[in-house]
Amino acid sequence: MPSVKSVVISCAGIGSRLGLATTKALVEIEGLTMIARQLKSLEAIKDIRVVVGYQAGDVINEVRRYRPDAIFCYNHEYFTTKTGASFYLGARHGSEYSIEIDGDLLIHPDDMRMLLEQDGEWIAYSDISSEDAMFVRVDCEGNVLSFSTEKGDYEWTGPACIRKDKLRYGSGHVFNMLEPSLPMRGIKIKACDIDTYDDYIRAAEFVRSWGA
Amino acid sequence: MKNVKFIFDLDGTVTSQETLPLIADHFGVQEEIAELTKQTIKGNVPFIESFIKRVHILGKLPVSEINNLLESVPLYAKVQEFINMNPDKCVIATGNLSCWVNKLLRRIYNQASGITFCSQAEVVNDKVSKLESILKKENVVRRYKGEGCEVIYIGDGNNDLEAMRLSDISIANGITHDPANSILGVTDYVIYTEEALCRQLNQLL
Repeated sequence: MPSVKSVVISCAGIGSRLGLATTKALVEIEGLTMIARQLKSLEAIKDIRVVVGYQAGDVINEVRRYRPDAIFCYNHEYFTTKTGASFYLGARHGSEYSIEIDGDLLIHPDDMRMLLEQDGEWIAYSDISSEDAMFVRVDCEGNVLSFSTEKGDYEWTGPACIRKDKLRYGSGHVFNMLEPSLPMRGIKIKACDIDTYDDYIRAAEFVRSWGA
Repeated sequence: MKNVKFIFDLDGTVTSQETLPLIADHFGVQEEIAELTKQTIKGNVPFIESFIKRVHILGKLPVSEINNLLESVPLYAKVQEFINMNPDKCVIATGNLSCWVNKLLRRIYNQASGITFCSQAEVVNDKVSKLESILKKENVVRRYKGEGCEVIYIGDGNNDLEAMRLSDISIANGITHDPANSILGVTDYVIYTEEALCRQLNQLL
């Protein structure tokens, strides 16, 4: 039986590189918003925590359509901070373990189910697909050894699961928070994140590929 | 052991119905009160000015009848249970006059003595004769922070704004109605169901 976990979905950012003038959680892929797709794959999780900032009211309204019992965590400094701060704010008063999911990440539903069954701490990664990727280097057993902007074996997409005592507030990214704990168990998944308009087009193809 | 103090707003947080409109309906002064309450919750009328006006309208009514009426206000059962499971960590802070709500407060605490902060009035011949003090909820927060507590504040209205800003952790409560927009600019959390609120409260213990 997997341990009780919180899931923290970071939806505070402004999504500037996508150029659609809307926070990425509210971007529609094949008729459903990103956040709706994520929430549908997380029905088994009781403690859903959504970090809001830019367009907070719109994100809250959309989430409440699917999960009125979500806890909304504010990142009022969303303009000057990155995903690390949002994850900290979302997870600091949650369960002992928290799974971090960026609001711009699409995960194959089968892989999401598999991840929710995992115990302990882990980092998920996928095949390299983005032009502007953050990479992970792994050992022969798939454990994550390092993160890099230059090169690596796979693309760091998240999610990741870490214990609450590892959380640190900072203005950096989630991977900066994970780095002191490396090496960590790695899990390969099928996922894609949306940073640019090309990613957005690719995400629609990805969703169609699983027949959703 | 964490030295934590949960400060609860009363109306719409522990009670599932606002108390002042209930008094107004009962005594047929709803038109006078409704607009004032609406504008106060929105933050368009300063709380103290609004409170003085409300007491001016309602103070002429029999105190004992108001006290009896409010004793039966519906409560959020899980919130009440949390308070009673953690009596040393929970405080209720309400701008309501103590003479109007003391029976309700005793009911919330299952007739035990709980820690409460209210506004105070002098009562003569079962009527409010003089408003003696108006509770500033931020002073309750200051008091417990001064004692070294980690203060968690749960409220929904514009009159909770300063208390929330000063608290270590603040929860905007949307379980009865949408929280005032002003508090969304300072709050750490906003929560819309009683179950989720109690889940978060238990995680903060």
